[in-house]
Amino acid sequence: MTLVAAAPSTIEKTDVRDDQTVAPDNPWVVLVWNDPINLMSYVTYVLQKLFGYSLQKATELMLDVHHKGKAVVSSGSREKAEMDVFRLHEHGLWATMQKDGSSGKGSSS
Amino acid sequence: MIRRRREPVYRTSSGFVLNLDDDQRHLLRRLIGEVRELITTGSNDDAKMRRLFPPAYTDDEVLDSEYQRLMREELVASRLSSISMVDEFLATTDGRAMSTAELEAFASCLNAVRLILGTLLGVADDADEPDDPQSPDFALYQYLSWLVDSAVNALMTR
Repeated sequence: MTLVAAAPSTIEKTDVRDDQTVAPDNPWVVLVWNDPINLMSYVTYVLQKLFGYSLQKATELMLDVHHKGKAVVSSGSREKAEMDVFRLHEHGLWATMQKDGSSGKGSSS
Repeated sequence: MIRRRREPVYRTSSGFVLNLDDDQRHLLRRLIGEVRELITTGSNDDAKMRRLFPPAYTDDEVLDSEYQRLMREELVASRLSSISMVDEFLATTDGRAMSTAELEAFASCLNAVRLILGTLLGVADDADEPDDPQSPDFALYQYLSWLVDSAVNALMTR
């Protein structure tokens, strides 16, 4: 996988391979969008399974998706975000990723 | 309150019991077989395919086409693997219990069928009412919702 073309050049080279130090400089967020088909129980279960969230946390995120139309479910480097999107797609959730702070489709946050 | 029906999926000490008769197992095998057919031969322009393989990037076509190029094949392989696992289980006649992996695959496969049916039915808002609520496909959709919900509840019960 290639790096994003717009990756900031200010990241210190020694930190490039360390997700934890790169993430704050180059954050991506993974969004799950509300859709009329996926069951609320199923969405809660998937968020718990994939991200290890507690039932309470997963339920809160699911309700955010349901009521606000979307929720940020994870964040990190672009590679991590892509893998998270992939795993959400594997489970049939409507997930997208974007740079943190960009408005995204239909955003009102 | 009267419990009308036994749960179709429930947890026991030796695994998960799938409480479905042969007709239901045949029906589910046919449906997931149709998913297999769709994802191996379907066109990317098909609305059902777009729902199963949504974009990862909605604001960047270049990044999204790269995501699709790198991940689509893996996503198809993952779905086919789940379908095989569930199909093999549904074909067993020895009455053995389901493993956690099999039940997880069962939930995601039936959810994929729901995504396809819901797309065909035009389920468009959270009220869960399709264009034609009397259609047999909507009865099937609701039946699958019941199964997925039961599977998820069994998985989340500790």
